[in-house]
Amino acid sequence: MSLVNYQTREITCKIVYYGPGRSGKTTNLHFIYGQVPDDRKGKMVSLATQTDRTLFFDFLPLDLGTISGFTTRFQLYTVPGQVYYQATRKLVLQGADGVVFVADSQARQLQENIESFQDLHQNLSEQDVDPRSVPLVIQYNKQDLPKDLILTTDELSDAVNFRGVPDYSADALHGPGVFETLRGISEIVLKRLSAGATR
Amino acid sequence: MIKAAVEPWVEEPLGKFVKDAGVRLALLLLPSGQVMAQYGFTRALDVMSACALAAAIFASSGEMGKLLQGKSFSALHAGGNPQFFLAEAQTARGPYIFLTVFDQESSLGLVRVFYDEFKARLAAAAPPPVSQEPVLASNFEGELNRNLAFLFGRA
Repeated sequence: MSLVNYQTREITCKIVYYGPGRSGKTTNLHFIYGQVPDDRKGKMVSLATQTDRTLFFDFLPLDLGTISGFTTRFQLYTVPGQVYYQATRKLVLQGADGVVFVADSQARQLQENIESFQDLHQNLSEQDVDPRSVPLVIQYNKQDLPKDLILTTDELSDAVNFRGVPDYSADALHGPGVFETLRGISEIVLKRLSAGATR
Repeated sequence: MIKAAVEPWVEEPLGKFVKDAGVRLALLLLPSGQVMAQYGFTRALDVMSACALAAAIFASSGEMGKLLQGKSFSALHAGGNPQFFLAEAQTARGPYIFLTVFDQESSLGLVRVFYDEFKARLAAAAPPPVSQEPVLASNFEGELNRNLAFLFGRA
């Protein structure tokens, strides 16, 4: 549920980056953090293990500036991708206004992508949220890897994107596609606020 | 006194709690980590981080409570200086999480007493859920794209 403060004219939205382990969710947030001026971002909080695997979540608050007269802020979260952190993923997903599914383009990770996408839908359903109603975009990350190691975006789209949501090719480590993905989910999430929604 | 409340009905109960209990910081948030009202923070982006962490602490300790005693902990307290107190408040709008930080000017006993009052006031003040009217203009995309381009140094 996007929070709207009519008194101070502020909007806050929660966006969750979801996907299998090591697909590049945290890398997306690191790239965004590195790009945005200091006065438009908060501290990036990473609850990670000693080897930098996400343990609970990463969190990055962003100030998008003024849109339609409202100061608009996004809270970007990642979930831990490893299968055994199921309970944590559910907690972080709670109240999400939009989801970015970060898929790993490596051919050997295809099954993990599919299972994680199913896991996302199951977790939303368990929170009494119709998964089809949640704004969603898909990012096919690591498209910079050698062609013989990865699937094309068309192949990945066939395998994962059965809902036909907007999808983006990306190389989150170096930046291509990160901006476009964030813009894509921002548009869908904010579009709901221009149409009205129930809270 | 309250720096920012998303909805006006929250202001009076929270303002009274802050004044009576003499705390340094207070946050009322949704279990999803979004702020409803705050007192004492100077930077909105810090509020967002505090909310995300408070929601995470409350959610994970709740799960631990279920594992250990079959139900969530009703409140959490961390000692030292400053101290924090974290608890849930139920209203007609659904559950909220409350976080307050205090020092020697107050005490856990005071905070607990006034928190119980705050909870009751909040529950009494909460209006039923309402439908949200359209907020943004239908052609907001232009501004969004300009703002994002600026953030990413593409303007």
